[in-house]
Order: sequence, then structure tokens, then C-alpha cells
Amino acid sequence: MTDPQQKHSKAYDLSEFRLLVVEDAPFISGLMSSALSEMGIGKIYVSPTVSDAKERILSYNAVQSSQNIDVLILDWLMPGTHGKELLTWIRAHKSDSIKYLPIIVCSAFASTELVEDSRDSGANEVMVKPVSAQKLSNRILYVIDRPRHFISAPEFFGPDRRRKVEKFQGEDRRKARPEEIEEEYEQLQ
Amino acid sequence: MSNFSDKVKKLHRMNKLKLKAGVPMDDEKFGYIDPAAIKRAQASIDNKEDSYIREVEEVLVKLDSTWEDIKNNKDEKQNKKLITDLSNYANNIKDMAETFGYKLMGSFGESLRDFCEKIDVGNEAHFVIVQAHIDVMWIAFKHNIKDEGGPQAKDLEQMLGQAIAKYST
Repeated sequence: MTDPQQKHSKAYDLSEFRLLVVEDAPFISGLMSSALSEMGIGKIYVSPTVSDAKERILSYNAVQSSQNIDVLILDWLMPGTHGKELLTWIRAHKSDSIKYLPIIVCSAFASTELVEDSRDSGANEVMVKPVSAQKLSNRILYVIDRPRHFISAPEFFGPDRRRKVEKFQGEDRRKARPEEIEEEYEQLQ
Repeated sequence: MSNFSDKVKKLHRMNKLKLKAGVPMDDEKFGYIDPAAIKRAQASIDNKEDSYIREVEEVLVKLDSTWEDIKNNKDEKQNKKLITDLSNYANNIKDMAETFGYKLMGSFGESLRDFCEKIDVGNEAHFVIVQAHIDVMWIAFKHNIKDEGGPQAKDLEQMLGQAIAKYST
């Protein structure tokens, strides 16, 4: 079996990746878009509102194709609506190419409540602002390299909330402290 | 009778993102993003610092005018919406300021955003606290105080802290 810690000799080619940034503040979405573009992401869409994001997702991901949006970066706090509304809508969708969409929640609030709330709503990863290139690349790498299987339960649909699935040894491994999760990302560098 | 575990399903998905990134789907090795590309990406963020000054000023002007509207408005429902706008502007300032290392401005934005949760427009003391936030934000902006900001920043923090302590009770 391959040791996953072993890295590829060549960097990932992200030119085929399509990413949607849902962020109400144009300045911040502009920062993210230019950084992601420099990182090599092929196509970056920006939606300033939840309703615009829903329209885009429906138009690109209704059926499976190479045009599908691959990853979504979602601002948690937006005027009028909440990122959670979009997250819940995506995870409850009937189309496979929508409901399994990897979602990176982005927020200015660094709290355990945010991590728990977004995780319990079906987020894959959480990124606490301020935005930096390293944070963005760490989250994208995590989504590519360490996808968690999905759990479908009566009151939950989303990626397995345990960040590490190992033999149970009596300890709760559902990390929720933002700094604890940040440490984990830093180990990727 | 079905038990709970019958209703919980673990769904394994094929990792198509790996394929898109140029490696086989079942490849277990970890990958990386070109470090030079990450550097370029960070440089593209850092290069926007000049626009930050302009953007923050625009948001501060909006913050000011929204606050004036709240003070002059008697409609409770409309005020609720205006306070949400105020909170969003404060949050925008926090986001932008912290991105470029304007920690003092970021902390004022965060403090105002959090205070918006408790604003009672019938309480005059709350008016003083919000105004104190806006005043220190303008001073921090006009003096272009970066990082922790030294003694001047401490004075501003103290000024705001005193206003909050005096009028919170």
C-alpha cells in the first residue's frame, strides 16, 4: 500500500478546476479570485448573494459534466442571508453533482461554535479570515487529498464529522477548536 | 423494529478531484500546490493594499451615514435592518483590515460588529458607545495606524474601552 505521506514529484495541475466564491464583499471576493487564479485554478466564479450562488450551482451542476463547479468557498456571514442557508440547500439537494459539492466555509468569526455549526450543517472545511494564500491552498489541498466519506443519517447529511477515522479508543476526535484545526492544516506545508 | 444504525449510511465517493488535478483517482499519495504559485498568490493579495485604503474609507463613510439614519429613524423594523447593515460594514472593515495587518482597525471593527448584537436604539448610552467606535475608527484610518500601532493605538483603545465601561452599566 502507498504511504499517503509520500508526496507526488509534480505539483497538482489545477487548470481544470472550477471554483465558486460566495462572498458579499467585492473587495474580499476580488482578493480571493486573484489569489486563486495565481495559484493556477482554471475558472473562478463569484456570487455576491446566496440566491445568485444557487442559480449558478443549478446552471453548472444540475447534471454531471466537466463544466461542474468543483469546490465552493462560502462566506458564513452575509447581509440578509446566512451561508448556512446555502450549505443546507446544497446538502439537501437531490442531484448528486450538487449535494456532494466540497464546501469550504469562510468566516471572520474564530469560534468553536462556528466550527461545530458549519460542520454539523455539512461543511467540509473551515477557513477563518483574514484570507491568505497559504490558508486557501491548504484548504484546497485538504479537499483534494483527504476527502472524507459522506454520512447519511436521519438528521445529518454531509462529510464524516470525524476528521480522522481510526479505531475508536474512547476519545472524541471531532475537533472543533479553530486553532486545533489550523495546526492540522499547517502540518501540510 | 429498525435500530438507529440501520438508518445511518456511510457513502464512499470516487475522488474525481484527483483526476482533475492530473493524477489517477485511486492514487493515495498526497499532492501539493506549486510553492511559487502560492507566493505569487500572496503577492497578488499584498499588492491590493493600496486599494484597501480607498475601500476602508468608502465603508467608513457608509458606516457614518447608516449610523446617522439609525439615529434619525423611529421605525423599529427599519432600524433593525439598518443595524444589520452597520454590523456588516463593521465586519467588512475587520476582514479587510486584518488581511493587511491593520490590527487596531480590525479590532475596532470586530468590537463594533459584536456590539451591534446588543444595540438598543432606545438606550442613549448605546449611542455613545457606537459613536465612540466610529470616532476611533476614523482616527485610526486618518493616522494610518498599522500593526499594533504603538502608544497612539493604546490611547485609542483606552478611549474606546473607557466609553464602553462608562456607558455599559
